[in-house]
Amino acid sequence: MTSLEISLFALALTCCALATAGYLLSLLVKKVVLAKGSTWILAGGGLFLTFNLLLGAANSSGWVNFGSRHFLSIYAWTIAGIYLGLQFKTKTRLLGAFIAPIILLFLIAAAGQESDKNLVPPQWQGWLTTFHLVLAIAGEALFVLASAAGAMFMIQNNLLKNKKPGKMGRLLPSLSDLDWINHLGLLWGFPLLTLGMIGGAVYAAFVWGGFWPADPKVIWSFAIWMVYGFLLHQRLAIGWKGSRMAALSCLAFLLFLLSALVIRYCFSTVHNFI
Amino acid sequence: MIVLVGLNHKTAPLAVRERLFAGCQGEVNLLAELLVIDGVREILHLSTCNRVELVASVDEASATVLALKSFLSKYGSLSNDEASSCLYGYRDDEAIKHLFRVTSSLDSLVMGEAQILGQVKDAYRKALALNATGNALNRLMHRAFRTAKRVRTETGIAANPVSVSFAAVELAKKIFGTLFGKKILIIGAGEMAELTCTHLIGNGAEDIIVANRSLAQAELLAEKYHGRAIGLTALDEALCDADIVISSTGAPSYVVTQDMVRHCLRKRKNRLLFLVDIAMPRDIDPAADSIENVYLYNIDNLQDIVDENVKNRRREALKAEGIIKEEVAQYANWLKELKAVPTIVSLRGKAEDIVSAELGKARSWMGNLENTDREKIEALVNSIVNKILHAPVAVMKEESVEFNSNDIVAAARQLFRLDD
Repeated sequence: MTSLEISLFALALTCCALATAGYLLSLLVKKVVLAKGSTWILAGGGLFLTFNLLLGAANSSGWVNFGSRHFLSIYAWTIAGIYLGLQFKTKTRLLGAFIAPIILLFLIAAAGQESDKNLVPPQWQGWLTTFHLVLAIAGEALFVLASAAGAMFMIQNNLLKNKKPGKMGRLLPSLSDLDWINHLGLLWGFPLLTLGMIGGAVYAAFVWGGFWPADPKVIWSFAIWMVYGFLLHQRLAIGWKGSRMAALSCLAFLLFLLSALVIRYCFSTVHNFI
Repeated sequence: MIVLVGLNHKTAPLAVRERLFAGCQGEVNLLAELLVIDGVREILHLSTCNRVELVASVDEASATVLALKSFLSKYGSLSNDEASSCLYGYRDDEAIKHLFRVTSSLDSLVMGEAQILGQVKDAYRKALALNATGNALNRLMHRAFRTAKRVRTETGIAANPVSVSFAAVELAKKIFGTLFGKKILIIGAGEMAELTCTHLIGNGAEDIIVANRSLAQAELLAEKYHGRAIGLTALDEALCDADIVISSTGAPSYVVTQDMVRHCLRKRKNRLLFLVDIAMPRDIDPAADSIENVYLYNIDNLQDIVDENVKNRRREALKAEGIIKEEVAQYANWLKELKAVPTIVSLRGKAEDIVSAELGKARSWMGNLENTDREKIEALVNSIVNKILHAPVAVMKEESVEFNSNDIVAAARQLFRLDD
């Protein structure tokens, strides 16, 4: 890792930490202007991270040689990118108060990783692995966003149902916008994750001779894929909306978090980079 | 100096305000008549349904305040008792402060309302068109507008709605984000329901359905909003369509039951539904609120929000008073400085006269010099004069502001023989 890469990563981390502080402060003092400023700071951080990743890609002669640091950075970058993209469409700046800490956590985790450790062992490298990783990350990032919007929906819903919107209610985004983000997250996240998983399965079939390696990460991912699939089905076919969808998205996210921790600390897996 | 004379909703009953309002409105040359009053240099006349006020720049405060009061008494046909109990007169800082409070809507019936600023601006525009204002009032009014803007942006005085109908609109925005393209169902008719509907339309809502026991009456209201009229029998279907429902019928029992709402929600695939029940007795079964994605607010819920917002505005008003105090001090300082201005102008004029006279005398021998040298000498002379005048000018300004004293100005006039 070159010193320029390190500086860019440090800048991205600093911007993200500042944006997180700004978002949380804006919730505390109930001023949306702070959240607006934080969105710009986060956008700056996203830009630094983009350069960092591009430089990393150039230096490691291809995406597949990425280290664990890069892998976690891509997670953070994707979540930030989708969130910032949505800011053009909706006035949901306060959603950053939930999103920015998650991005910050990914970046901090990335900072703790050995940057030169190869993500994928050389014998597994190839375009199919890249396809599998990128789509799976993008899908999961969209689910994170859907769940964060769901969590904020529950707070706003609670305030409105209790007839006490107050300052906090005015500050938080509207229910429809949050529900829409939840919808988008599921709608795009699910097919991306599905394709990513298919990519992984096809790769496994070629290399290991079976679609279904008995790997804990694969089993957990499949379970989470089913949960999100169920949510999307209920949303599109049955017409579930609003508070029920929000609550279930939060539960699904907790399950996702739990699975990540359990896999990381309790099992040995071929996906041992997170 | 600045004086302000008038009456408002706090000091005068409607009957008195009405009379004065009508009296002043009827008079075409009001400002011209006011300007001929002894001592009045500049004047502005503000007249709204809540207040009639005159703001003037005058030579002598006490006598002019009395003259302006009797002017208003005459036009409003006020009795002596009415005049003494209703009319107030402020001078200097008090008058400036009052004007700034009025413009910033701290003195309004509904604190923080936006209309008053426009009304003051209109009054100023009229006075300006008739050349009734000058240096002092122009500056004063611009300060007043600036103060109002600061109060609006730096405090939350106008941030939250303080009327039931606006509170409902704010809630609708919190539920739907934008109201563009949203459908409104009005059940029954009433002033409040109509007002709320008007505000919703003003914020982008488009499709209006009016339901009423009497179809004819529904059609009447629907025509006003370019909407569609239905009878109460078709309510179920309309409920499935609408995003926002405003109900205010005189019905003795629930017009919209929990089952109706539950049923329609299934049909509309759980889209969010905002129900506003402003009827007494209530039209919508309160149990409907327990259904997911349904938000039911009755008149008490809305009133609670309004009360909370009124409390917030009062808190914000304290901040606004601080801003006003600052602005009053700045204007008052400028006004005091203004006293020294004519003397400073004549002092500089005299100095310039002397310089040009002396340079004129020296022209005969300066003709031998190079152009550049001549210019250098002229610049030197001007610089010396400016340096000498700098201290007396600064002291005159400081003394006027700090001690509001005319003595030093008078002394300067005498020392430099400015009155000769």
